[in-house]
Amino acid sequence: MIEHAYLIPLIPFFASFIMLFGGKEDPHSNMPWVGIAAMGVCLALSVSVFWGAVTGTVALPYEHNWHWFSIAASIAGRSFVYDMPVGVLIDGPAAVTLVAVTLVSLMVQVYSVAYMHGDVRFKRYFAFVSFFTAAMLGLVASSNLLVTFACWELMGLCSYLLIGFWFEREGPCEAQKKAFMTTKLGDSGLYLALLLIFAKVGSFQLSQIYQFFDKGLMPATIATVIGIGILAGAAGKSAQAPLFIWLPDAMEGPTPGSALIHAATMVAAGILLVSKTYFVFLASPTAMESAAWMGLITAFLAASMALVSYDIKRVLAFSTVSQLGFMMCALGAGGFTSGLFHMTTHAFFKALLFLGAGSVIHSVHTNDMRQMGGLSKKMPLTFLTMLIAVLAIAGVPGLSGYYSKDMILADVWNHDHLMFWILLCTALMTAFYMFRLFFLTFWGDDRDHEKFHHAHESPALITGPLVVLAVLSAFAGAGLNHDGLVHKLIPKPTISVMPGAAVAAPAHASEAKPEASAHQASTEHHDGHLPAWLHMTAIVLVLGSITLAFLMYRGPTYAAADAIKANLGPVFTLLDRRWYVDDFFYALVTVSDKVAALAFWIDANVVDRVFVDGWGLLMRIFAQISDAFDNLFVDSAVDGVGGLGNDLGVGLRSLVREGQVQEYLMYAAIAFSLAATLILTR
Amino acid sequence: MTLAHYLTVASLLFLIGVFGALTRRNIIGILMSIELMFNAANINLAAFERFLHPEGVAGATLALFIMTVAAAEVVVGLALLLAIYRNTDTAYVEDYNLLKG
Repeated sequence: MIEHAYLIPLIPFFASFIMLFGGKEDPHSNMPWVGIAAMGVCLALSVSVFWGAVTGTVALPYEHNWHWFSIAASIAGRSFVYDMPVGVLIDGPAAVTLVAVTLVSLMVQVYSVAYMHGDVRFKRYFAFVSFFTAAMLGLVASSNLLVTFACWELMGLCSYLLIGFWFEREGPCEAQKKAFMTTKLGDSGLYLALLLIFAKVGSFQLSQIYQFFDKGLMPATIATVIGIGILAGAAGKSAQAPLFIWLPDAMEGPTPGSALIHAATMVAAGILLVSKTYFVFLASPTAMESAAWMGLITAFLAASMALVSYDIKRVLAFSTVSQLGFMMCALGAGGFTSGLFHMTTHAFFKALLFLGAGSVIHSVHTNDMRQMGGLSKKMPLTFLTMLIAVLAIAGVPGLSGYYSKDMILADVWNHDHLMFWILLCTALMTAFYMFRLFFLTFWGDDRDHEKFHHAHESPALITGPLVVLAVLSAFAGAGLNHDGLVHKLIPKPTISVMPGAAVAAPAHASEAKPEASAHQASTEHHDGHLPAWLHMTAIVLVLGSITLAFLMYRGPTYAAADAIKANLGPVFTLLDRRWYVDDFFYALVTVSDKVAALAFWIDANVVDRVFVDGWGLLMRIFAQISDAFDNLFVDSAVDGVGGLGNDLGVGLRSLVREGQVQEYLMYAAIAFSLAATLILTR
Repeated sequence: MTLAHYLTVASLLFLIGVFGALTRRNIIGILMSIELMFNAANINLAAFERFLHPEGVAGATLALFIMTVAAAEVVVGLALLLAIYRNTDTAYVEDYNLLKG
């Protein structure tokens, strides 16, 4: 079955084209079922690959390449043919991710049939979703970084199209531009990193690049630059600090589209890219630390911002950013397995959260949680599934989020204790704001009677995917964690020549040694656990923050929260303004604009006036001089030659008596005989 | 009798024609001188044929053609002369300056 793995990205790719170009645009089109069927086939293929990997019938990693194109090149006098293959590389993480992506995409599409029904661009939405998924699957399965990069950029395009799906309104238009430009800012770093990799290794094949790093051929500084470039790309795509500004605005798109972006495709791509090129980070401790701290800062900032938002989708967006920070921090702290494990579980419960939120919005027609409340009575199925999702993301024992988050915290504890405490704090905030969302939406009594009265449970096409995802959110973690399966599926890659050992010069011994040993320790303790007391404390604290959320937000009013808000005004403003990161970028753009205006002024007034106009004036004077010279000397010479000819003719004519035929004849005879003489005597 | 002899006679005849055409005042004399030059050319043609290509008839044929053309030309020329004479009452060529620019 795995030899057909190349079909997994190709099927939805072609399905999207069929949907885009086949049939007429119709609010009730049947075209979406093409995409759903295609995704079903992909899911079956992915599951078969995954199951083969679990049972051991399929040996991973599986790589197969086809000829794409060759370039004849000559470097330093040696000519050779560079071969660029295209192919699939399915390793453990890819097998797991393929299942998660196809499953979430399938659920999103089934859900969207009900959610988007009646939209004027009904069919086109599904084509975009399919194309988006195809790009993500291509990124996951490709064995070639160039193809990966192409898919990466295609996802940028798809996110642009989906965020701005309702482009008639101003908000989505602004949001799509913001998302596109912010991610491109990061992509420029990734692009440079890829160029550097090709310049050094001479190949885009992941396996060849890995061998290059494995043998320790890459200098540590270059590895660091490449790592930072990849991180920049990942920061743009996976919404890490400080490039997370686009993700909250991306909520302007259709809610199921947001679910896709947040759970399966767009934001997971950055994490996945880092995991695909993890050997770069293994070769560069600096890049590794940068990843960890970037993830940590992102996780903390985003979680704090989620505490004060009243827009249900915004809270979820911040929580995505925060969870991505968790993953990035785990990868940076050496927890390869835990980071990708969390990515998988997060895909399920975050898709569920978004689809659940979509169900609520579909029912009450508002995003503002202050106008909801008490919806558990009206929407019992949505309420139950959301409860499971919220418990899972908060990390309550037994559900999937608990296992992955526990593993991340253990890895971070082994890496750095300060990081651990910040991350634990973030985890507590996560539990608090998720239950704040939950209680505000579903608990207590209704706040807006009009909206509550019209609220109703969503149709089966919406609740069905919710139930499927809820089951996965509940059991995926335990299933994958059972018997160390996740460690078997997603083993941490290693490289033979570790940078710490290579740089162990005596002068730097004091600096290099602790880092290296910490590194070694984290590698050895990949399945290490938290100390028991810490583990218990963490669980108690999580439950405590859930209780706190319950106490503060269970009723129709939330006086306690308002009181805190009143007393801590500046802090709330800070969080509400998203730590002024947006304002920072806005100011940056404004300053750039001012600088550009100044440059324009200099160009118009100094460069144009002095250099361009001055040079023109100089040239004009020169031309006038040249014109005068031309008139005086050159033209006179020309006229003189003409005049001379004229004068000669007139003079000669005066020798001849006019009208005498015999004289003409005589001259003709003389001329003829002269000519004849000249010719004959030659 | 070699080719040179014929050519000498022909060139003498031609020069006499040229001399006549340049010096005669009477237009009739000029026409006659021109006929002399034609005949010098005819002698050349016949001589060249006789000495260089005795097997062919091209030279003699061409000479015959020239005679015919010369006869026709004389006819036209004399007709023109008559017309000019009637208009100007003179046969001296220096008085003919109707086309003078």
